[in-house]
Amino acid sequence: MTTPSANPGPGTQPAGSDPERKPWRATLGASACVILATLATAPWQDTLGRTNSVMLLLLSAVLAAYRFGPGPGLVAAVLSVVCFDFFYVPPRGSLSVHDLDFTVTFVVMLGVAVLVGQLTARLRFQAMVAHERERRMRALFEMSRDLSSVLTLEQTADISNRYLARLFDVEPGLLLLDNADGLVGAPGCSLPAQADVGIARWSLEHNAGAGIGTDTQPSAPALYVPLKAPMRTRGVLVLVPRSETWRLNPEQRRLLDTTAALIAIALERIHFITIAQDAVVHMESERLRNSLLAALSHDLKTPLTVLAGLADSLNLAGPPLAPAQADIAESIREEALRTSTLVMNLLEMARLQAGNVRLNREWQPLEEVVGVALQARAAMLAAHTVRVDLPATLPLVEFDTLLMERALCNLLENAAKYTPTGSTIEIAARSLGPWIEISIADDGPGLPAGNENQLFEKFTRGQGESSSGGVGLGLSIVRAVVEAHNGNVKAENRATGGACITLRLPAGTPPDTPLEEP
Amino acid sequence: MNSVDEAPSMRVVLIEDEKQIRRFVGMALAAERWQVFEADTARQGLSEVGTRRPDLVILDLGLPDGDGIDVVRDIRGWSSVPVLILSARPHEQDRVAALDAGADDFLTKPFGVSELMARVRALLRRTRSGTVQQQQLSFGTVVIDMASRVVRRDDAVVHLTPIEYRLLSVLISNAGRVMTHRHLLREVWGPSHASDHHYLRVYMTALRRKLEVDPTRPRHFITEAGVGYRFCIEPW
Repeated sequence: MTTPSANPGPGTQPAGSDPERKPWRATLGASACVILATLATAPWQDTLGRTNSVMLLLLSAVLAAYRFGPGPGLVAAVLSVVCFDFFYVPPRGSLSVHDLDFTVTFVVMLGVAVLVGQLTARLRFQAMVAHERERRMRALFEMSRDLSSVLTLEQTADISNRYLARLFDVEPGLLLLDNADGLVGAPGCSLPAQADVGIARWSLEHNAGAGIGTDTQPSAPALYVPLKAPMRTRGVLVLVPRSETWRLNPEQRRLLDTTAALIAIALERIHFITIAQDAVVHMESERLRNSLLAALSHDLKTPLTVLAGLADSLNLAGPPLAPAQADIAESIREEALRTSTLVMNLLEMARLQAGNVRLNREWQPLEEVVGVALQARAAMLAAHTVRVDLPATLPLVEFDTLLMERALCNLLENAAKYTPTGSTIEIAARSLGPWIEISIADDGPGLPAGNENQLFEKFTRGQGESSSGGVGLGLSIVRAVVEAHNGNVKAENRATGGACITLRLPAGTPPDTPLEEP
Repeated sequence: MNSVDEAPSMRVVLIEDEKQIRRFVGMALAAERWQVFEADTARQGLSEVGTRRPDLVILDLGLPDGDGIDVVRDIRGWSSVPVLILSARPHEQDRVAALDAGADDFLTKPFGVSELMARVRALLRRTRSGTVQQQQLSFGTVVIDMASRVVRRDDAVVHLTPIEYRLLSVLISNAGRVMTHRHLLREVWGPSHASDHHYLRVYMTALRRKLEVDPTRPRHFITEAGVGYRFCIEPW
């Protein structure tokens, strides 16, 4: 009779059979079963005998319950008894019964039909639920398997859309966070026309579902589900139902949450893969850059070392040099050392220009690095008066020692180069709210008025075609160093005459310094 | 140089692959009556150090057949001869690594002959003074009585905290050597503070303020930027 069709459709309805959605149709079908059985057997009832006919009618009632569910099955059971009475029990064609013996038959028949029918219906219902659950689990499993191997956002969006459409009978869409924390459609996939980014944004910000079946905007034509990953919410799923009466039951709601979690984790994984790849590329390029610069530095410094060293050795090689010769040897040596400083500046600039320089920042007293710079430029500053004013209460400052040393050296060198012999150079520092301000001032001729800060551009020199050496890299390195420390630098003329260059470094929060009992 | 005539000639092994650098370094050392043994590879250098029993090793960090740091480590396995590093690399990490491996001092290329000889003399003085505990040590206008732990500057007692004094005594016992931040932290604060560089810097600044004439232009407590500190009894 009825072959039970085990396919309840693409998972759009609660676990249960198709006809249950329209009870009157199911009841009609169940009744038709019994009536058909009756019509098929009644003409041959004399040959068949009543006993066999009862069995056949019972069977039809049980099958009806199996196919159409418990309610219609009950109707079929009653109907089968009525049909039996009407067509088989004398007087035929009437519901009246003359032989009371049949009462027992009716009762037993009704009882058996109801009992077996209800059991069968429930069994079938449970089988269908189990089947449906298994189908979903399989889909979930397949989706998680597919998601576990994706490496790009396009693949993730593709897989998520495919499975969502299959599991929930919807037109799915995926909105992802971009770098500026805006919501955009996933790459390579179109969004459903009904998707509303405003509601999606709300869902993202409140980390809660919105749209159909939720408390927020339930009349919207779509459901919005935030994609919560362990670290943060990574986007929003948009589900636009294909049918008017689409609703999710609690089990499907849970399934949807699981699916969303899987997609979110896949997105987070891709996010971290991207970060890791960027880090590797960055490290590689920095490593390459550093080894290239180290090789260059070695190759350029070796001949300069030889030049300076051999000039020094002229005195050792033979009889003592005449004063003029000694002077020449000294000049050779000095020029070699100066060229070396220039090479260092060039290489440092190349390193800073490449960007993303890894600073070796440490908290330290400013006094120390100022001392190092003064020591390194002692020869150059011999003809100048240098005054240092660093308050003892100055907090520790966080910076890269070597870069700051280079910046200070360049500033001192600059001051020494552009001021006449005997000038005074003042180094001062003070704490100024969120900044530590370091100034290097002189009482020389000052900077060309109007374009003081142009000095920090590469290859700019203060006094046109002056005879002082250097290509003007010094101050641009100062700026690059200070900016790499999130600080700033400015140049100005002092009211009392002379130039003043001021560096500002972020004060930050210095670490606790160890205290001990005196 | 009368003292040289009295003492047997000092030996130095010079491991450097650049011929011209060997040439002028060799000349400078020979002028002060050093006996110079040259090597241009790590392998040859090690065997020279092993056979010649030198009083000093001068070592270039970038050798064609191996890293200079490994050479230092190798030498330190069986000898305490002073090692002076020559380095042209721009990164201080190499110098720190070489010093941590046991080198005594370093010179950054390019350097002059006078700088070189100053380092050599300082290292030699250190070896000669050996481990003999002196009763009294003085530098500049500071006098330290090691037994009573009293520090005087210009005849006035200077009060040092226990840590300051410990730092000072570690520096004194390693006078002439470059001590890396890590090494000093380990000696003074113990291994658990090996990365608290700012401790060391704060105490070093305090020592300078108490013992240097001009703390921003130190003559004895010298900063080797990015590497560590050097204590010099006699400024050069």
